[in-house]
Amino acid sequence: MFFYYLDMGWRSIRKTPVLSALMVLAISIGIGITITSLNIYQVMAFNPAAERSDQLHAVQLWSQGPDTWDDYSTIITYQDAMHLRTGAIPRAQAAMFRTGQAIQSDNPDVLPELRSVRVTDSGFFSLFSVPFLHGGAWTEVVDQQPAYEIVIGKAVSQKYFGKVNSVGEVLYLNRKPYQVVGVIDDWNPSPKYYDPTNGSFNDAESLFVPFSLAPVEEFAVWGNTNGWQFEPMVTYGDRLVSEKSWVLFWADLADEQAREDYRAWIQSYIEQQQEMGRFTDTAKADVQLADVAKWLEVNKVLRKDNKILVALSALFLCVCLVNILGLLLTKFLKRAPEVGVRRAIGASRRQIFAQHMVEVTLIGLLGGALGLLWAWGLLHVLTERFHMDDALTRLDATLWFITPSIAMGAALLAGLYPAWVICRTQPSVYLKSQ
Amino acid sequence: MLSMKNISKVYQSELVETHALREFNLQVSEGEFVVVTGPSGSGKTTFLNVAGLLEGFSQGEYLLDGVDVSSVSDNESARIRNEKIGFIFQGFNLIPDLNLAENIEVPLRYRGFDSKERKRRVEQALEQVGLASRLKHLPPQLSGGQQQRVAIARALAGEPRFLLADEPTGNLDSLMARQVMELLENINQAGTTIIMVTHDPELARRAQRNVQIVDGQVCDFTSYQKSRSTTSTTAEPA
Ligand SMILES: Nc1ncnc2c1ncn2[C@@H]1O[C@H](COP(=O)(O)OP(=O)(O)O)[C@@H](O)[C@H]1O
Ligand SMILES: [Mg+2]
Repeated sequence: MFFYYLDMGWRSIRKTPVLSALMVLAISIGIGITITSLNIYQVMAFNPAAERSDQLHAVQLWSQGPDTWDDYSTIITYQDAMHLRTGAIPRAQAAMFRTGQAIQSDNPDVLPELRSVRVTDSGFFSLFSVPFLHGGAWTEVVDQQPAYEIVIGKAVSQKYFGKVNSVGEVLYLNRKPYQVVGVIDDWNPSPKYYDPTNGSFNDAESLFVPFSLAPVEEFAVWGNTNGWQFEPMVTYGDRLVSEKSWVLFWADLADEQAREDYRAWIQSYIEQQQEMGRFTDTAKADVQLADVAKWLEVNKVLRKDNKILVALSALFLCVCLVNILGLLLTKFLKRAPEVGVRRAIGASRRQIFAQHMVEVTLIGLLGGALGLLWAWGLLHVLTERFHMDDALTRLDATLWFITPSIAMGAALLAGLYPAWVICRTQPSVYLKSQ
Repeated sequence: MLSMKNISKVYQSELVETHALREFNLQVSEGEFVVVTGPSGSGKTTFLNVAGLLEGFSQGEYLLDGVDVSSVSDNESARIRNEKIGFIFQGFNLIPDLNLAENIEVPLRYRGFDSKERKRRVEQALEQVGLASRLKHLPPQLSGGQQQRVAIARALAGEPRFLLADEPTGNLDSLMARQVMELLENINQAGTTIIMVTHDPELARRAQRNVQIVDGQVCDFTSYQKSRSTTSTTAEPA
């Protein structure tokens, strides 16, 4: 019976091509816009740390004085970071910030270029499950005693050394030679949650050097620096001892117990610092451990406007549906005499209802397919015209399945009333032909 | 076979109340060919619609094949229409987008026959009405008489016990009308009970039994030669 209904539905659609095209268009535009906003929302809502997201914690300290900003800072001071690095409770931990360096190898054919470099600890790679192809992170000894060692991405290795396995080779950063100790596979968490500061959907860095080198090399900070009081900042040393915050700190805390212990440890540190005249906002000075979800929220990676955008486009879809409802009603009622005949010769209301719902579903499916095209086009326009991040505008794979479902569901919703009306009509009225 | 006792049917509109059938009584036995006549607006079509379960009624008792059908569900009445009753309308009422074979197939689809059985029955029905070669034609490509024969084929395909025909010859010229009438007579010979509404006195005269409806009531009289054999009717003078 289903295929009979399908056949009838398809014929009906072809019989009134303009009306059908209008309905398909209406659905597709509604769906296209909904899917576009849903895609943006989904990419933004995606939690990149997956099952580790409630173990990884960014450490936030309320170190600023009173009457400054009224929230935990996302970045901490260098001196606090240095203390946190001595902690023994986390399974892994890393301080980090971003810098930029001129990159060069011994290969004269490859021109030097300026690239982002992540300055961090060896714990970074296990914290964020960075996949190594060759070698590995530098040793923990290097975290204490600076060495010119570097971890690079596959693409960088290919470009500067013409091979993937470049462990042992030398790469120059601002003319200083670094020995490659590890090569990682393509790794690009989206959003870039470990440091969303300058663009949460930017690409991850593919060059990593030891944090312990910072005071030696005086890496410039390619990120935010927050201050709340006047401090002379002449030398790099001034920055290191200042109250300016500019370092991110992540810790892997396995369970509630670990979190409690860690919090207590940091709180006692804060108390001790207060005796030395720091953490002057005594009422509020504290630590906040933000897991990944919380961290994304704190950094406004999941903005409320996204939800509003989705809601608005769903509303728009509703408007389209109301239109389609009207068109369907007209179309179905025009067919009342035929339905009368079908009823007379043995179709039950249920069968008439089913036949029309199948036709509506077909329209929905066509609308969904076209809507997917709209969404695809729309996302491309967004990328090209408005320079949105690539990650946002890649159509999420699951949407290829979700879209037809939404389209069919929407069409079924719009078709419910017209199909109900037509299946309730009194057949005899249309058979009393004079 | 068909037994209506004191059936009343009232159409209620905002302004008027129309008593289309009032205290309507009729018995039809298996194998009969009943011709229903009567003035326009007297309730003939309403009677057929009630008889064919296309409309309900306000009062009375209706037994079809011994089954009380006054309160069957929609599903059930659809099944009865599909299996037991064939409809023929004045306006043919073929579905214009479906070709002849597909039109005849419609009731068989709802019956749930497989494609082989449908094909067999469609061909057989078309042969019965003498249109076997026109399987793929669309209804508008045929003359009125041919369309009515297709409609009859559609009604026959389900092999119904009952054929309800509402002025089947009303839109046809007299030659075609006679052909259709002959076809119906043949079908009746083969055992199908037929109730036919007509205006045509010549056709009415040919019938085994003639029922006249006046003002929503039966005024039954049988043709002379059959009067002795049909005694099962309860007649109420108008
Ligand atoms: N659906 C309806 N609503 C209201 N009145 C109706 C309806 N159908 C028929 N009638 C009225 O019922 C009476 C009988 O109609 P009908 O059975 O069609 O007569 P006939 O077929 O004998 O010409 C008429 O007065 C007609 O106006
Ligand atoms: Mg009539």
